[in-house]
Amino acid sequence: MIYVKVTVRFFARFGELLGNTQEIEAREGISVADLVKEAASRNKAGYDTIFNEEGAFRDFVIVMRNKKRIRSQDAGSIPVGEGDEIAVFPPVAGG
Amino acid sequence: MMLFGEEGQEQLQDATIFIAGAGGLGSPVSIYLAVLGVGTLIIADNDRVDQTNLNRQILYRDQDIGRRKAAVAGERLQEVNPDIMVKAVDATIDQHTVSSLTRDADGIVDALDDFPTRYLLNKAALEKGIPLFHGGISGFFGQATTILPGKTPCLRCIIPQPPPAEVFPVAGVTAGFIGLIQATEVCKYLLCRGDLLAGRLLLWDGIQGRIEEIPVETDPDCEACAGKYKGIS
Repeated sequence: MIYVKVTVRFFARFGELLGNTQEIEAREGISVADLVKEAASRNKAGYDTIFNEEGAFRDFVIVMRNKKRIRSQDAGSIPVGEGDEIAVFPPVAGG
Repeated sequence: MMLFGEEGQEQLQDATIFIAGAGGLGSPVSIYLAVLGVGTLIIADNDRVDQTNLNRQILYRDQDIGRRKAAVAGERLQEVNPDIMVKAVDATIDQHTVSSLTRDADGIVDALDDFPTRYLLNKAALEKGIPLFHGGISGFFGQATTILPGKTPCLRCIIPQPPPAEVFPVAGVTAGFIGLIQATEVCKYLLCRGDLLAGRLLLWDGIQGRIEEIPVETDPDCEACAGKYKGIS
């Protein structure tokens, strides 16, 4: 199996729960969604903050691939490539 | 003031800024816009001062607990700068009041703590063609951006679905940090100087001590703005 090196970055509360940066060797062709699930699986609270009961991104979660936003509902069909940086962050609501 | 010159100070004096919310963000934003000399500040809040507010809502003091925030904010801002006009409004910002509250404004500062009401401000800014200076905070984290209708993505393009209401308390310093970014944006906008946070979402992580910014794009399917509004002049 071929692996690619990718970086997953979690911001704000996500980063507190999951670590801010994870360097991952992922199998080639893995989708952005599956990569983030893998990265988030180390902490159930972190995982549950990002994904709903059906395993889909919660609708407020913002996902970026190489500094460009992707629609979270498309993340299951977008593969990651060598050197990609995936960033996941929650907008915050307080004032 | 030397920094802005007489002309700049007049531009500030002639401006009217609406500040939505007199809480954690509204406190530093309003105080700094007052000392900056923004001629008319309209600030709205429908709440009372609570002891739990005092770690971050620096408009208020211990003896203000139980008083209406709008009344206290009005007094305090007028003390800070007697030469400006302060209109403190004790009102709920909703679909019935947002239009009249923003009617005379040259810009809107989002100092709210919920997204449904922020979307009302966004709509008002789009319809009036005036900027919306957005800020949001939680714990040691915050975000800010400046929305110029017709030129940048709107708030709904950037954050299409409201994040859940905050359950984590806000560190007072985070309100100060993000609030001052918003006030800086207002200042630059009114003086036509520098680069605004237009089309850029600034993310502040106070725990890590890191600022990131991400480019944001207009959503062609945005339910608030898609193709509906002319550019801001």
